[in-house]
Amino acid sequence: MQWTIKRIGAIALTGAVTVALGACGSSSKSDDNGGGSATSGGKSGGTATVLMGTAPDYLDPQRAYTTQGAEAHWISYLGLYTYAHKNGVEGGKVIPALAEDFPKVTNGGKTYTMTLRKGLKYSDGTAVKASDFPFTIERAIKAPWGGKSFFTGYIKGAQAFDSGKAKSISGIKADDATGEITIDLVKPYGAFLNVIAFPSAGFVPTGTKMGNLSNNPPPGVGPYILKDVVPNRSFKVVRNPDWTDQTVPGVPKGKMDISVKIASNTQTEAEQVLNNAADVFDWGDQLPPSLASQVTAKAGDRFAKQNTVSTYYFFLNTQTKPFNNLKARQAVNYAVDRRAIARLNGGNFKPTCWFLPEGLIGHPMGECPYGDPNAAPDMAKARQLLKESGLAGSTVTVWGQNRSPRKEFTNYYTDVLNQMGFKAKTKIIADAQYFPTIGNLKLQPQTGFADWNQDFPNPSDFYLLMDKNTTQATNNQNFSQVNDPHIQSELAELNAVPADKLDTVADRWQKLDEYLAQKAYIVSYGQQQNPKFFSDKLNFDAAVFHPLYGNDWSTLEPK
Amino acid sequence: MATTDTGTEVPSAISAARPDDDAPPGIGPYALAWRRLKRNRAALFFGGVFALIVVLCLLAPFYAKHVAHTGPNANHLTDQVRVGGKLKDVVTPGGIPIGPTWHGRFLLGADGNGRDVAVRLLYGGRNSLEIGVVATLITMLLATMIGLAAGFFRGLTDAILSRVLDLIWSFPVVILGVALGVALAVGGLNLGLFELKGNSLGVPAVIIGVVYIPYVAKPIRGQVLGLREREFVDAARVQGLGNVRIMIGEVLPNLASTIIVFIPLIIANAILLEAGLSYLGAGVQDPNPSWGTMISDGIRLIPSAIHLTFVPGFMLLFTVLGINVFGDGVRDALDPRAKVRIER
Repeated sequence: MQWTIKRIGAIALTGAVTVALGACGSSSKSDDNGGGSATSGGKSGGTATVLMGTAPDYLDPQRAYTTQGAEAHWISYLGLYTYAHKNGVEGGKVIPALAEDFPKVTNGGKTYTMTLRKGLKYSDGTAVKASDFPFTIERAIKAPWGGKSFFTGYIKGAQAFDSGKAKSISGIKADDATGEITIDLVKPYGAFLNVIAFPSAGFVPTGTKMGNLSNNPPPGVGPYILKDVVPNRSFKVVRNPDWTDQTVPGVPKGKMDISVKIASNTQTEAEQVLNNAADVFDWGDQLPPSLASQVTAKAGDRFAKQNTVSTYYFFLNTQTKPFNNLKARQAVNYAVDRRAIARLNGGNFKPTCWFLPEGLIGHPMGECPYGDPNAAPDMAKARQLLKESGLAGSTVTVWGQNRSPRKEFTNYYTDVLNQMGFKAKTKIIADAQYFPTIGNLKLQPQTGFADWNQDFPNPSDFYLLMDKNTTQATNNQNFSQVNDPHIQSELAELNAVPADKLDTVADRWQKLDEYLAQKAYIVSYGQQQNPKFFSDKLNFDAAVFHPLYGNDWSTLEPK
Repeated sequence: MATTDTGTEVPSAISAARPDDDAPPGIGPYALAWRRLKRNRAALFFGGVFALIVVLCLLAPFYAKHVAHTGPNANHLTDQVRVGGKLKDVVTPGGIPIGPTWHGRFLLGADGNGRDVAVRLLYGGRNSLEIGVVATLITMLLATMIGLAAGFFRGLTDAILSRVLDLIWSFPVVILGVALGVALAVGGLNLGLFELKGNSLGVPAVIIGVVYIPYVAKPIRGQVLGLREREFVDAARVQGLGNVRIMIGEVLPNLASTIIVFIPLIIANAILLEAGLSYLGAGVQDPNPSWGTMISDGIRLIPSAIHLTFVPGFMLLFTVLGINVFGDGVRDALDPRAKVRIER
């Protein structure tokens, strides 16, 4: 998922999850465990003020595709499955939510059968029905949700529904009388359980309007309810009074109401939390470098760096000049100084040139083809390659988000392109519009900022960004518009591998990532460390820092 | 009873004490104004400050090439510079930029991207001044035309133009500027005859120029309403001159003082508004520098690099102060009512 986009994927089964997440790197200051797990003990009551650096792209669950959106949705719109409310590796495990139990998988991995729990109700009191599931998936496809290719690429009949050739998805059958739901896939997909654990697959009542309901989100099933939305300013996530710890085992009731405010200035955001005027700093933001030492000195007991399985990169549109040229792309990879970008991020990046980050199966362990990312770049080589490509002097527009430090990354990158010999200029646009803008294929953005945080511990989650089958006209995530036959043939096989057998294909994923680096479809530069930073009103150790969703609001509790 | 050089009657006691008694006889009104301005030391001093800032900004390319040896957008994140015999990181691994070194390279320090603050200050000044001047030209040209037409023709023309001015005037200037700036930042401005790209300096210049039109057009309209009733206008009509010739040949010259007085004031306000819009991200677009964007970029580093906000802030302060005080002096020199106040 991107920084502001949260894609939620199904978590692999326990064994693979343990191996994948156990390999997460850590720094001397990091706290991988973050303390806490969801329990029914501890104090409760009051409201926690959570600051977000960027407003969620949507508060409509079938449209949202940002980390900010998913943070609110995964506790307000449960689907058939969700994730454990735990730190680290344990948090990556899928658990049944609205489904009674794990699915029965038959037909060579292509048929999933599960039964809906009985007696569930939406936040408005409407009874939950099995047929709400196919409606929810149809709504997500029609929205269109930015990750709809997860559905259209795997669920039988979903593509026909998407293109208007069918009125419903033939591969999903739901029996309201028995609560049984059956999903047929076109091909096995090892991470399919993660797919239906996305918040976008969170149930909404059949008949919910298809349009954008961000300003007045529909009812959902979960320990929290979204309300009082002021677009781009604030919204509330309040406890569902009818939810108990027993409603869905493993999904506890919340302890505090949440008041979310958008604070686009990270300096102000950090100062508010430092001075206890707000309670939670957006884990997706970085502390301004100037405040980092103050925070460590004054608030060391309520601050910790958390490693994330993420990749920050600049996309290179392979369908337009100049980056439809291999040498031009490789030149950029030689020219970018990854240490410099790490400094712009206050030292909170681990420089890298690989797409799959450390901590994920498939992360290459060999030398970077463009030189040591912790050393100076090779600008001479970059200029030579660009000259050989014949594209020196090409005009390039570099797209970036408005908030720091992403704006600074983009400004630095533009300068590098100009130093190489391009005629580059920056186009910085507002955060909330950024990904929808560059995800519109009509625009054909040449290059710009992008990032990805793992949705689930499976390399296939990252590689959907390089999969031509996920390219879509709007809300596109394959910003480089990669269409590589070798990648496609590898993904066709690797994506089918069940999550508990990921170890057996680790070498193939690694080779694929090395191939990607050679092809230079993107310019990877960093793996993020994120802050868990609270006010002194909250019990820091009790709060879960979830490997997918960051601060787990349902585990916030007052001291 | 004596009259002033603009025809307004003033009491003899006051006129007897006029400070321009030593003026040569037959001196023209502008020459007289110049004499008065030369005696206003404060106005001259601050006018000099402003002129100095303008000259420095114009010399930005020279400074960048021969003194700082870097451009306004060049990043030096991993470079080192010698300060007091020791090598220091331009930007530390933790992201803190170096402060003023007080010699050629990074004279006033570096910003978060490792860019030379002094170079960006001068280039930013060029941008800010260019936008201020262009916006002022747009304002004065359009406001004069609109005010002249509204005041001269009256009736339906005046009604329509005045309502348009009221509409623009009803929006708070900053909010209107931000709204237009954000809307035009991506797609730019395409008016058929000419096109401005989203990151062009012309976009904020046009926006600022348009929002200030009512502030000038309305006083001009008021003055024209009075002037059109004067006998020299009647005489021109009797001679058979058309409306346009009367407006341009007879009325417009009498507006010259008003226009001249407005120019420095609008430049000052335009520069301030540009800084505000750029601070809010709706003015000059990255990575082009302006004092407003420099202040905005420096906010997140205030605790460790306060020079990033102070330096452009002080430049803005002295520039606007300089124009304002000089503009006050020009007004005092030209405005007869101001002359009477001085005499008391």
